[in-house]
Amino acid sequence: MLKNKLKIPDKTRKPFPDRLGSLVIGFDYRDGENAGSDAALEFGEELETIQPNGFGSDREFEEPDDGVEEGRVQDEGPTGGGAGGGGCGGGEPEFRARQRPAREGSVPVSVLEVIAADEKRSDVQYEISQEEINLEKLQRIASKGLPDEGGLRATTWKLLLGYLPPSRNLWEKELSENRLKYAKLKEDLLISPSEFARRKNLDFSPRETEAGSDVDGPLRRHQISQEDHPLSLGKASVWNQYFENTEVAEQIDRDLQRTHPDMKFFSGETAISRRHREAMRNILLLFAKLNPAIRYVQGMNEVLAPIYYVFSTDPNEQNAANAEADSFSCFVRLLGDSVDHFCQQLDNSSVGILSTLSRLSELLKTNDEELWRHLEFTTRVEPQFYAFRWITLLLTQEFSFQSILRIWDSLLGNPFGVQDMLLRVCCAMLLCIKSRLMSGDFIANLKLLQHYPDINIEHLLQVAMDLTPDTSSYRLSL
Amino acid sequence: MVLVLALGDLHVPHRAPDLPAKFKSMLVPGKIQHIICTGNLCIKVVNPCRIEQLLSLRCECLAEEVHDYLKTLCPDLHITRGEYDEETRYPETKTLTIGQFKLGLCHGHQVIPWGDLDSLAMLQRQLDVDILVTGHTHQFTAYKHEGGVVINPGSATGAYSSITYDVNPSFVLMDIDGLRVVVYVYELIDGEVKVDKIDFKKTTTTTAH
Repeated sequence: MLKNKLKIPDKTRKPFPDRLGSLVIGFDYRDGENAGSDAALEFGEELETIQPNGFGSDREFEEPDDGVEEGRVQDEGPTGGGAGGGGCGGGEPEFRARQRPAREGSVPVSVLEVIAADEKRSDVQYEISQEEINLEKLQRIASKGLPDEGGLRATTWKLLLGYLPPSRNLWEKELSENRLKYAKLKEDLLISPSEFARRKNLDFSPRETEAGSDVDGPLRRHQISQEDHPLSLGKASVWNQYFENTEVAEQIDRDLQRTHPDMKFFSGETAISRRHREAMRNILLLFAKLNPAIRYVQGMNEVLAPIYYVFSTDPNEQNAANAEADSFSCFVRLLGDSVDHFCQQLDNSSVGILSTLSRLSELLKTNDEELWRHLEFTTRVEPQFYAFRWITLLLTQEFSFQSILRIWDSLLGNPFGVQDMLLRVCCAMLLCIKSRLMSGDFIANLKLLQHYPDINIEHLLQVAMDLTPDTSSYRLSL
Repeated sequence: MVLVLALGDLHVPHRAPDLPAKFKSMLVPGKIQHIICTGNLCIKVVNPCRIEQLLSLRCECLAEEVHDYLKTLCPDLHITRGEYDEETRYPETKTLTIGQFKLGLCHGHQVIPWGDLDSLAMLQRQLDVDILVTGHTHQFTAYKHEGGVVINPGSATGAYSSITYDVNPSFVLMDIDGLRVVVYVYELIDGEVKVDKIDFKKTTTTTAH
């Protein structure tokens, strides 16, 4: 009887997992089968999150990867790409932790998701609009995913990479300084030799070129040095350097043609995509010139692509126009710690790729010895067969573009650095398909790992966050 | 930034054995986009008597090889026929458009008096080109005439001509960049390669046709 008198909103009435989703009123149902389990899990999650590392077999999925992720209702992981947990009004901050960005593509967005996305956006906006930005807080928010719109991701990434200083009033100065520096670098290093010769000519004889064009008759010859002509073989010659770089430029062009062929932003022959490719070409060429030890390595275009995409889809016009300069600086910063992976001479050293791969192995061993043993000894699937690409290219080749952006939010938002989180995510990737790996032999496992199946990204990232760090090495997380 | 090599009057093997070594060391593949050749490149060796003559001259560069050598530098090769060329398939004149410039090519022995500017200008108007490249005199010249340029790259091997024996090997490399062309003149004087440069800017004239 009391029920009718008290006006309690339906949503607050269910603190316990309600398995029968159909009894829950007041939720929008996107599609019948999923909405039920969503609702159940919204509340169920709250009770089950606080667990140490004893996940056991709950972590993995067996589902078909047709985009619809169903999980067992008991799982603590979120499933079904479900609605954000903002349903309980403003009073439950933990629910925000479970927010997921709207699933890519076709699924219609429910009211709850919209509410959740709004809250997330306002969180990020609030943080960024502070005078002195609290980077740690921003990192924490980023690890849970950033909103796609409003250019918030662009600004957050710039802050997390250290391109923008935490003090807001220094932004203008930093940005303009950096952009100017980039323009100058471009001018110095990427100029075509004819352009260079023309400017030199203008410096020396601005008058002559004008006078000569009016008078008929024999043309004046100007003597030039041995370095200034196109066939010069001298080392200091602008022309010679230009021709030496054409090989690198050609490879960059080839790779750029193949970057994300399904996205109109990068591929196709429209003027816009050509401009984007040219901008990326300049960035990569400049990087190759400034780092003669590594030059350009195939795959760097893939690492650049998300950065450049995020920065040039910034609604702020000035930012979008200067996306090239900003992307260059952030690209350099991002590659800063992983640049050693690209250098072949350092392969066997303590900073090279092999050492990183062995750290991945150790991490897997610490977290799931059974799987580690199965991979290392029984099937002999060594990390360099599958994880090389995962690590050097920061997982850009394994997932869809939207997923990459979400994963990179977490990578950049990790207070211990990108590499640390990267190893965790790789380990989580292995753990999430554990049962399939355990039942496979060398060939099946290799095939599976090299074509990683679709899984729920939020779940993957949550597993990664909850891993036990590897305490055997010096990288102890304190 | 298009690089166009202009050369001609090689007269291999009759008057010269080959291109000078210093020129050959500079001409490497991959840099040049087009080659235009005024003519008198070479003669096909069909006559067995000629072979004896060749062997006695001890020339390393046989007839067809010049054409093939130029092809290795750049696949886009344009040649017009000189009076000693036995390859009948070369045309008398040729026009091509590179960037914003129209180039005309002709050997020059057809234009009488040889090397006369006004007569060449007539040919230029006839072909309706901005840059006319002719040879036959074996002397490098570059004239500006009525909004166009007439260039003679000279003889790349330094072969003697009907006019004079004193010939310095020379050739021309043009850098076409938008409305501007920079002409680099390579001459072998006293065993050393000297490079000069000439700037030319095309005035955008509205063509009435």
